[in-house]
Parts: sequence; structure tokens; C-alpha cells
Amino acid sequence: MREQETGVDLAVELCSLRLRTPLIPASGTLSKEALGEVGGVYGAMLPKTTTPSARAGNPPPRVAETPAGMVNSIGLQNPGVESFLQDLDAFDLGIPIFVSVAGDTVSEFALLCEKLAGEDRVSAVELNLSCPNVECGGLAFCAGPASVEEVVAACRAAVPGKPILVKLTNEGVVENARAAESAGADALTVINTIPALTIDARARKVLVRGGLSGPAIKPVALRAVYDVASVVNVPVIGSGGVVSGTDVAEFMLAGATAVQVGTASFIRDPCKILDEITDYLKENSLSAAELTGALRGVRPVLTGGRDI
Amino acid sequence: MKFYSVKVEEREELGSYTLLKYRWPDRPVEPGQFVMARAAGYPATLDPFLARPFSIYDYDGKMASLLFEVRGRGTALLDLASTIEVTAPLGKGFRIDPGLGRAALLGGGIGVAPLKILSRRLNAAGIPHNVFLGFADAGPAAIASEFPEAAVATIDGSAGTHGTVLDATDTLEGYEAIYACGPNPMLAAVKLAAGQNSLCQLSVEERMGCGNGSCNGCVVPVRGGGYIRSCIEGPVFPAEVLAW
Repeated sequence: MREQETGVDLAVELCSLRLRTPLIPASGTLSKEALGEVGGVYGAMLPKTTTPSARAGNPPPRVAETPAGMVNSIGLQNPGVESFLQDLDAFDLGIPIFVSVAGDTVSEFALLCEKLAGEDRVSAVELNLSCPNVECGGLAFCAGPASVEEVVAACRAAVPGKPILVKLTNEGVVENARAAESAGADALTVINTIPALTIDARARKVLVRGGLSGPAIKPVALRAVYDVASVVNVPVIGSGGVVSGTDVAEFMLAGATAVQVGTASFIRDPCKILDEITDYLKENSLSAAELTGALRGVRPVLTGGRDI
Repeated sequence: MKFYSVKVEEREELGSYTLLKYRWPDRPVEPGQFVMARAAGYPATLDPFLARPFSIYDYDGKMASLLFEVRGRGTALLDLASTIEVTAPLGKGFRIDPGLGRAALLGGGIGVAPLKILSRRLNAAGIPHNVFLGFADAGPAAIASEFPEAAVATIDGSAGTHGTVLDATDTLEGYEAIYACGPNPMLAAVKLAAGQNSLCQLSVEERMGCGNGSCNGCVVPVRGGGYIRSCIEGPVFPAEVLAW
């Protein structure tokens, strides 16, 4: 409908799926209660991460504001995959549904993927690799390429018929992206929140030890997307601090095929982000798909994942 | 989240609290509901990043008002703003059962905020009630002038009874309904004092990320284990639901 109003082609193709806009909600940032206001903005739906059984989540406080961002430590509170699937129709807006999964072990990840393999309502699976692997002393699944490769390969085998998106944190993102691709990932979501801490000096207490999101991490995320997109052949979904249409454009120029909007939807009407990217495309006589990687000039040669 | 830009029509300092009034279209507002609010001016609003939750202090079908205390940058900017951005009313408010006997309303500190509109609605429903307000000291206690016949207590004894809001009440026995808003330790004490014989509803004050149920940041522990969101299932909860 927006296309007809503006003449701008907002659709992008991701893993052979047609998304009517390049925007996807970041996992855990759009509840079913909030869908009514903003559903038309997105090209795909992506509900909060589901786990094999219910999780109560972490004790409060769970969120703390920081300059241009927030730190959260929710602890993957969710009702477990059985309840999740019973409730999945609430997220049916007539667009593809991507399901974010997390487990304590590689076999839990694989089990979730097997369960989703037979679900027609699910178009793709996103692996949330920022959760701790209890078999590796609690190190995150994305702590290193070997671990990434193992979990992605197991999920690949478990859900052969659906695209797998792998969501990576910033640390070691280039090596981990290569590992995920070689293990069969169809797309990479770059990046998850960045490990962060807030302290209440007056009370002399840790307020929240968790992950930082919001505009504060945007330049870090943009660099990660740029670096990853230049070394992999699978599509990259940009994520991290997007609050405006210009941010969306920057991520796509850096090489992203689609963009996740997370914390921004707490502080703005995401419809405005879509309006802004539409205006940008119109002014530049581009379609959304043409924007991906359309930087002018030659990319600087990438010399390594951690170079400054 | 959708924010609406509204002009501050009236600003009043009531002791150490600020009252802001803005026009709001005639739509149903439950007493105890809240809005997310901040000073207008995106993208300058990226720091501070999040809007803040505020109980709706009063609403007459034309003007809504918010009562708050300046505690940090977000509220300091809100205090100076001539235009603010607010969401529509959010969350579940206080339940009013027609035909109820006498009710007690208890507010601790800025927890006084939802009691004005609640008192208005109780009056409209013909439910007699008493208001009890507790504050740290006489500074914020000045808001009590907005509640005729309210009994006041202050922790330092500088106004009203020396003690907590519960010291301002002789007893909570005999009230058929108890409504309270304030810090969690106060609400836990009210729940204990209320006993089993009344309909006791507590409005919690939690840090919030989104206000629309998305981030799961504002949870409270529930009896039997687990957490629920104060922005969707609350901020007003039947006392028996809460773990503390």
C-alpha cells in the first residue's frame, strides 16, 4: 500500500523469501500486545526467543538506561516452545514469521529446530547464539568459531527445509560469521547486544549486568555489518541501534539486505522509520533492494577481524 | 510505541512535586493507568533514551495531568518542557466494584499520583473513602492540600503523624476495599495490614523499558513463582497475586 502511495519499491528478497519492507523486529522487542499499532511496518515478524521449556527470567532490575541506549538482562523469560507454538497465530500478520530459538546445549538447539521443521507457519529460524552453553562452562555459543560451527551444523541437519539465520554478537564477529556460513547458515544477523554493566554509585550496587542496545552501539554494529558483508556470500541482516530511516540506509549501504529494529520501537513509532527510509529511497531514486552494498568508491581492504 | 506531542497547558509546583496538564481527547481512562512521557524534541530525546512511566494524576474528559518528582535528567527535562510527548493511557488500572462499602486509599511519596483520579471515580460511584498519605518530609507532603481531609504522616515528623503511611491509619480493619500505590516495601506492609477481609489492590512503581509489554523489563515476582509485567498485567495488581 505504501508502494502505491509513494512509488518506492520497498521489497527485498532474503533467503528466497519476499519481504514487503526491509524492516524486521529484533527478537524480544515486539510483544503481541504491541502488534496492532505497528504491524504494517515490517517485512517479517520475529517474536521473542523461545526455549525448550519455560524460563522465569532474571530477577529485577532487568533494564537500565544509559546514554543513548539501555542495558537489559531479561534472562530469556518465555513460556517454552509448546506454549509459544500454541500462541503463534497471534503473530500472523500475513508476512513471513521467523522464530528465534535458544537452548542450553547443542542438542537443545537441534531439538527446537526439529520441532519447527514441521511447522508450516514458520518461514525461517534464527539462532540466538548469545546464550550460555552449559556444556562449555557457560561460555556463549558464539564465543568462538568452533562452537558456532558445531551448533549451526546441528541445526542445519535438524531443519533442512527452512532458512537458518544466525545472530552473532560483536566479539569475534568476522571469524564467527565465516564459521556459521561454512556450517550452512543461510543468513547472518549482525549484531546482538554488547556485554555491558551499569552501577548505581549511590547504592554501591550493580544495577544491571547484561547487554547494551540502542544508538550507543550503532557505529560498532555498522562496522561489524560492513566487515562481515565483505567476507561472506550469504545475506547479512543489520542490527544494533537503528532508530531512523537514515540508520536503515546506512546499514544497507554497509551491506545489509534487511535491518532489525529493536530498542528503537520503545521510543519511537516504527512507522516513522519506514516513512523515513521510504523518503530516502524516493529522493535517491532507488529501490530498497538496490541500496544493499551501494556505497560509492572502493571498499578498504579488510586485513582481519579485530584490526582497528 | 506511538507518542503524541502535546502542549503543556498548565504547570504547577505542589511542594516538591510538579503537576503538568495537557489536553487529551475524551476517551476512557482507568484510574491507575499510566502513560510513558518525556520532553518533546526527537532526536535530542536520544539521551536520555527512554520515556518514563507516570500515573495519570487526574482526567476530566478534556485535560489530563501528570504528577512527578524531579529525580534525574529525564524528569528534569520534562519539568522544563513546554511540549511533551505522551503515549495513550497504558496498563490495567484499579477496579471499582459498585456497591462497595468504605474504601481506604494509601499513597507513599509520589505514589500519591494515581489517588486523585481514583478518588474522583470513587466519588462518582458513591463509594465513601478515606485517604492516607505518607511522605519522607514536609516538602512533598504539601501535595496533601489537593486531598481534602487526607491524613498525613512523614518519616521525619515534620508534617502530620510521625511515621509511615500506615501510622496515619488507626487500622485498616473495616474497609471493604484498599487501594495503595508507593514503593514495594510500603505495598508489602499495606498488604500485610490489610489482611484477608478486603479487596486489596496495589499499584507498583517499576523501572520500564517500553511500556507496551515488549521488553519484559518491568516485571514483578508473583506468588507461586515467576514474574509478570507491570506494564500490561499491571501496574495495579490484586494483592494476592504478588509474591511479597
